[in-house]
Amino acid sequence: MDIKSILKKALIAAPIIYLTIALLAYVDVNNSRPILTIFKNIQTDSALEIVDFSEDKPEVNKPKPTPNNDRNPYYGDLHVHTKHSFDAYVFGVTASPDDAYRYAKGEGILHPLGYEMKLREPLDFYSVTDHGFYMGMIQAFSDPTSDIGKKEFTKPFHNLNRKENLTPESAGERSNIFSSILGATIIQLYPDWHPKLLKAWFTRNIQVALKSFDYDVHKSAWADVARSANEHNDPGHFTTFIGYEFTTSTDVEGGNLHRNVIFNSSTASIRPWTRIDSLNPEDLWTWQDALRDKGVDTVSIPHNSNGSNGQMFEMETFKANAINRGYSEKRMRNEPLVEITQVKGTSDTHPLLSPDDEWADFEIMDVRVGSRPPTYSKPSGGYVREAYLNGLTLDFTNQGNPYKFGLIGSTDTHTGAGAFEESNYWSKVGLLDGDPENRGSIPLTEENVETMNEYMQAFNQPVSTIELDQGTYANTGFTQWGASGLAVAWAEENTRDSIFKAFKRKETFATSGPRIAVRFFGGYNLSSIDLNSDSLVSEAYKKGVTMGADLMNDDNKTPEFIVWAQKDKNGAPLQRVQIVKGWMDSLSGRPYEKVYDVACSDGLEVDPLTNRCPDNGARVNISDCSIPQNIGSSELKTVWQDPEFNSKDKSFYYVRVLENPTCRWSTWDAINRGFEAREDLHETIQERAWSSPIWYVPQKTGVEVIPLGGSIQLRSAD
Amino acid sequence: MEVFSYEALINKNYFELKHKIIIFFTIGIFLYLIDIGLNSESKDIYISDQEILSLVSAWKSQVGREPTDDEISRIINNLVDEEILYREALLLGLDNEDRIIKRRLAQKISFLKQESISISPSNTEILNFYNKNKDKYFVNPSYSFTHYYFSSENNSEDRSKVAMQQIKNNIEVNSDSFFLGKNFAAEDILNIDSNFGNNFSSNFLDAPLNKWIGPYRSSFGHHILFITDFQPGFYLDIEDVLNQVEVDLLQIKRDKAVQDFLNKIRLEYEVIINPNLKI
Repeated sequence: MDIKSILKKALIAAPIIYLTIALLAYVDVNNSRPILTIFKNIQTDSALEIVDFSEDKPEVNKPKPTPNNDRNPYYGDLHVHTKHSFDAYVFGVTASPDDAYRYAKGEGILHPLGYEMKLREPLDFYSVTDHGFYMGMIQAFSDPTSDIGKKEFTKPFHNLNRKENLTPESAGERSNIFSSILGATIIQLYPDWHPKLLKAWFTRNIQVALKSFDYDVHKSAWADVARSANEHNDPGHFTTFIGYEFTTSTDVEGGNLHRNVIFNSSTASIRPWTRIDSLNPEDLWTWQDALRDKGVDTVSIPHNSNGSNGQMFEMETFKANAINRGYSEKRMRNEPLVEITQVKGTSDTHPLLSPDDEWADFEIMDVRVGSRPPTYSKPSGGYVREAYLNGLTLDFTNQGNPYKFGLIGSTDTHTGAGAFEESNYWSKVGLLDGDPENRGSIPLTEENVETMNEYMQAFNQPVSTIELDQGTYANTGFTQWGASGLAVAWAEENTRDSIFKAFKRKETFATSGPRIAVRFFGGYNLSSIDLNSDSLVSEAYKKGVTMGADLMNDDNKTPEFIVWAQKDKNGAPLQRVQIVKGWMDSLSGRPYEKVYDVACSDGLEVDPLTNRCPDNGARVNISDCSIPQNIGSSELKTVWQDPEFNSKDKSFYYVRVLENPTCRWSTWDAINRGFEAREDLHETIQERAWSSPIWYVPQKTGVEVIPLGGSIQLRSAD
Repeated sequence: MEVFSYEALINKNYFELKHKIIIFFTIGIFLYLIDIGLNSESKDIYISDQEILSLVSAWKSQVGREPTDDEISRIINNLVDEEILYREALLLGLDNEDRIIKRRLAQKISFLKQESISISPSNTEILNFYNKNKDKYFVNPSYSFTHYYFSSENNSEDRSKVAMQQIKNNIEVNSDSFFLGKNFAAEDILNIDSNFGNNFSSNFLDAPLNKWIGPYRSSFGHHILFITDFQPGFYLDIEDVLNQVEVDLLQIKRDKAVQDFLNKIRLEYEVIINPNLKI
């Protein structure tokens, strides 16, 4: 062959190769993948199969309270784990979803260590939210007679929770199983030729390709969760929700992006959508949207943003793209609420983020969720108040506001039973923190110091004891956890539908455990309402908007707010009510925040210069935790007008209600057992409630804001 | 005729007995040797792959890299040392009188006893249980009412007394607004206690209908009540709560199994406690 013909062929081949590459590049850049899409049509999506889990229950002829148009506050917990959770089972928990619901209705159930856990007063609603990821599998691993339990890798789990193995001494080994073996056990795939791989692909269900996974066990655990919820649902008296936790995280730095998914029906998908399907929360929302198209409505509720290393409320998407309006709308459509407080700390704000807020240092947990060894979690991006401000900024730059969420609290207990009271506290991870020595509130006995050190050495964990003048204490991180919190919904009646609607319109508030109640209205003519009138609430609903809603600009008038807070009848009296304001200065484009006291206890007046109530003098007697009963208020009520209102600034307002100080659980633990409170922990706590905000929306300006960088797609991502 | 010799008899029996003892003794030694031969503690230590892999993976997750050969052998040696110490401790009988070990064994047998309960109880059992525990399936009485409220923030005791007089004299009452509203329909007594606190529902027992009564104290102040309707409490029919009864019964049976076993076996034990012990 001569050189000429080779050259000729090369000349012809070059444009063909070039065109092919260009075409592939185009496809890749635009991410539309036409060929893959063709194949996608032959897939079915197992996560979108809907199952009716409802129970055939005879209609019980109980009197049902009539719905209240002025709405009642219903107290509940939307974050509860039972034995179906992969970690709860390792923590020694054997409580089933049925046990959990019985507990919420007021019955006592047993802690893994053998003592009784019981509520002082039943709750109004409850949702068992086991980790969707590997739901039910660990229990199957631990049973040597189950199909999967016969496999070699399940050996460390065998008979983990037979009663004889439930001891505090097993805590070290258990945390080892949790932090290392579990991770190593579950990631092995079947070989490429295996038919299960094909099944996984055709049904879009990656988990069935995992060697350690048994789909039937998984489905039956989920069916048990759903069945139990439906069986215990008692319209008018007690509401349950089918739910689970979507336990995802960023793939770098272990940023926790956990969310709870709550269903509003007795039907649900045949399996939970989990982190094995995708780590990206946007994919979760896509799935939720698809479910909604099929008539199954859900909300997802992020939690422990405080331990997310700043990843929960970022200024960019999971894939580090710019946030656009499509993203913001999709997020808000699926995530109207955020869990601001729970056992693992409170995410209102951090002293570094709100240096002018004297109450910012409240139940701060400063490490990343589940990190071993404990690793600092960056505050910025992890707290609710800053997220609201960042939402205004994103809105300002025309990217939509993905952080316009309402607030709830919950516990995240892993024992089936939430601990809400400081004086009756069992923390949350079963055998690991079920007694005061293990959770670090009383000194360790010499014997246990040794046990603790040995275990930590044996399992390669950092030193987890701390030497204080008072003695040697466990330093396992549990001291930063606490007895919190509650989800409260303003609803017409105690039914699934009514309460779920309250979630969707964000008419909710959160408390750090006590049953404080708070009403919050904003409007332009609220001072015309008589605060002592019986029609106060119905008039306020008519003339204004309530928590979770937008207050639109009305001829540049200054808005007024009605706040009404009531104490927990079994808790401490109220000390003050505050309004937290955040705004985006329309001239400088900078976010600001400010805390105003708006009502003081004992008839005291707010100082107009400092915006603070005078000290009411209520103190705790640390030797026996007693508090004065004659200081503080049983209710606080006021109309408030923003003294620094600017009608052009995008703003939000939310209420914070503060109780008089009381003993923290760690102090109760110590004095109940004859010790002094540990010197390096807060001895007291100011229990509180947070309302969902009211957002003030100014008139549209004539100025067109062009998104920074100019690269943001304004159209929706899908 | 042979003379009966008592002495000879004794001697003879003595001889046979001695003979038997020797035989027994020999067999005993023989059995003992077999026993030692078969049961002497094996000095082999088996370590499964799984055990080593899990320790190595724990090490990796902590340190963040693969262990070197030296480090692996140290991990395994630690494990071996622990196993040796454990076995030597057993040989010395250190497991005796150890409270933790006792507790584990006790839990183990309780667990076995609980497991032995059959799954579904018979209909008669369920019915009997329902009849005995009827109170668990009781629906509380409920009331419909309205009220005047006087906040404890504002001298509720005196104001409510004055108001009661005003009601009697048909003068308009100046009360406060109550956080949870003015009118309540079909509120059961648990809800009433939950909304008002201070055991408030006790004021409703035997109270007259359609008449202003009070003032009564709640957790938030004082109230003057006007009850318009009363629904007495009642027991739910067994058909309505069959599932619930069955679940409750099983739970109780499980707990009872351990107790029954204890009670039965306890008779065989004699407990001896020093009656003079001072605590």
